[in-house]
Amino acid sequence: MSNGKQLGKLFGAQLKMMFREKQVWFWNLFFPIILMVIFMVIFGGGGGSDFKAKIAVVKPSATEASDMLEGYLRQVPVLEWKSEQPISAEEADEWVKDKDVDAVIVLPGENETTLGIIVNKENERSATTQAIAGILDKFVQQTNYQVAGVTPTFSVETTAVSSGSEDLSYVDFLLTGMIALAVAQGGLFGMVDMVEMRRKGLLKRLRLTPVKMGLFGVGGMMVRFILGIVQIVILSLIGVFGFGAKLHLDFPTLIVGFLVGALAFNALGYLFSSFSKSIEAYMGMANIASFLMMFLSGIFFPTSGFPEWLIPVSQVLPLTYFVNGIRDGMVYGSGIASADFWAGIGILGAWGIVAFALGVLIYRKTKIEVR
Amino acid sequence: MAILEVKGLRKAFGSVQAVEEISFSVENGEVFTIIGPNGAGKTTTLEMIEGMQAPDRGTISISGMKWDKDADRIKTIIGVQPQSSALFDLLTVEENLDLFGSFYPHSKQSSEVLEMINLTDHRRKNVKSLSGGQRQRLAIGLAMISDPQIIFLDEPTTGLDPQARRNIWDIVLKLKELGKTTILTTHYMEEAEKLSDRVCIVDQGRVVTLDTPANLIDSLTKEREVRLYFQDGEAAAAETEQVAKGDSTVVRTELDGSSLKLWSVRPEETLYGVFGFTKEKGYRVEQVSIREMSLEDVFIAFTGKEWRD
Repeated sequence: MSNGKQLGKLFGAQLKMMFREKQVWFWNLFFPIILMVIFMVIFGGGGGSDFKAKIAVVKPSATEASDMLEGYLRQVPVLEWKSEQPISAEEADEWVKDKDVDAVIVLPGENETTLGIIVNKENERSATTQAIAGILDKFVQQTNYQVAGVTPTFSVETTAVSSGSEDLSYVDFLLTGMIALAVAQGGLFGMVDMVEMRRKGLLKRLRLTPVKMGLFGVGGMMVRFILGIVQIVILSLIGVFGFGAKLHLDFPTLIVGFLVGALAFNALGYLFSSFSKSIEAYMGMANIASFLMMFLSGIFFPTSGFPEWLIPVSQVLPLTYFVNGIRDGMVYGSGIASADFWAGIGILGAWGIVAFALGVLIYRKTKIEVR
Repeated sequence: MAILEVKGLRKAFGSVQAVEEISFSVENGEVFTIIGPNGAGKTTTLEMIEGMQAPDRGTISISGMKWDKDADRIKTIIGVQPQSSALFDLLTVEENLDLFGSFYPHSKQSSEVLEMINLTDHRRKNVKSLSGGQRQRLAIGLAMISDPQIIFLDEPTTGLDPQARRNIWDIVLKLKELGKTTILTTHYMEEAEKLSDRVCIVDQGRVVTLDTPANLIDSLTKEREVRLYFQDGEAAAAETEQVAKGDSTVVRTELDGSSLKLWSVRPEETLYGVFGFTKEKGYRVEQVSIREMSLEDVFIAFTGKEWRD
């Protein structure tokens, strides 16, 4: 049978095997989807970008000052009032303990000038508490200006910028990070078949036939590319339609980044498989590698926030370059001509070549007992 | 002409000498069985013949070809069912056969092989859901898919129930009908006796003996054990023993109550004499048996080891 026909058969068979394995579905599709959705909901704002805080007010005595403050407070749009009427101090304690409200604001009593905030101890450092304190602080400041009749001269306006397109958001960052992670994990974990095939004696069995093992490998790689494309498409659809990610696709960049990255991570998986005597050993290794890289390569958060000593570590990891390549191709829109992109691809390729060469060497040297 | 010729094979793993010196040749169309105790070097010998291990010394010639020059051509004329039935568990029976068939320049139709291994009804089943016997049959089917001249079956019936074992025997017999050469290893003496044209016993890395099962059994000993049970009690048995002792065909006797054991070089002649005496005396003999010698006795005689079953 010709090489082409044989490759076709090998590809077809491995495609069937991959999609019949439930583990593949779970780890390569559902798991990244779940992870991405969780991160997007928690950190990406998840669409509900309006901040609201539920509060109640305690007014120890109805003075002119407290009436005025209450009146102003009611005009702050992000505050949601649980009770229209001021409540008693005891009731306030109760509500805060039960977390019925995010905070209770205590207006100044007679001859007092301080506003108090009561929050639950658990939430003392939460973003909501910080925000309420900030709002109140600003509110008090403005009230002071008003009382004193001063107009502030300076104000601050925050604008976020990124290295790429104008409208790059955290959702875009996270989506592309998850895509890179999913494809990388597909490679790192995907070679578990090799361990299993060797353990069961299938590799040996194939060597008893005239089949070219190279073709078997090429067929397997083609199947993995297909899985990678499925991952990219599904995650992108969820990111774009579910969370409003905006993509700036640059196909040549994306294709080069994807192909080189997928090859490199499959080569790493192949290397792991070469010295794993059992599936457990392989999975342990793949897990360690994947977890380390997940957090050190800027998948969920930019590496710029890392302590200085950690940055060089991040700069040797292949996932760092893979995720950058994917971002170049999907959101940064910086084009294929960028030197950074090709430097990254070079490092990624080097990882792949070294891992593959080592793997081949170890496969030749070790003989694993078939059970 | 011998289709397989093995001369002076020797193989060591580190300090362990797995195969000392093994030579034999197998004729076209033969069922050739290699038996031996565990660790005798059977699997290593097979692996060297199948090209999985290089011998330290010795030559292997398959249809006149050598592994170092004609590996690809040899692979197309041999089919191997290894001890661990290595199958693609996530593919169906038919898909496994088609895939393996695609590895060869010429292969049989999978439907034809399915018929032979009696898995036609299960062809769309995932390998995962097959029984042990069905898996083993499929493994043999994979060895046959390329329509090879020589088929290696390494313990094809180990761990199977009697019916499943018989099904495998049927396949081996069909292969023989088709004129294929089969190299078999087994742990079951009955199987070796029933299926093989010739049996080769190996022990401690050497060929201990090699012949047809019948010749091996004959060569073992000329004496057969004859057992008689007397209805008329010990006295009759003892009296008959004395008469039998005078017979030149009887080598040894043993009396145990009413039961008498004779070892005879010509059992039919001995019995003729014995029955003449008992008839004359009017003694009634309730049971008579001549113990069949089996390959098992041959095995024990040559290796000094009990067979594990």
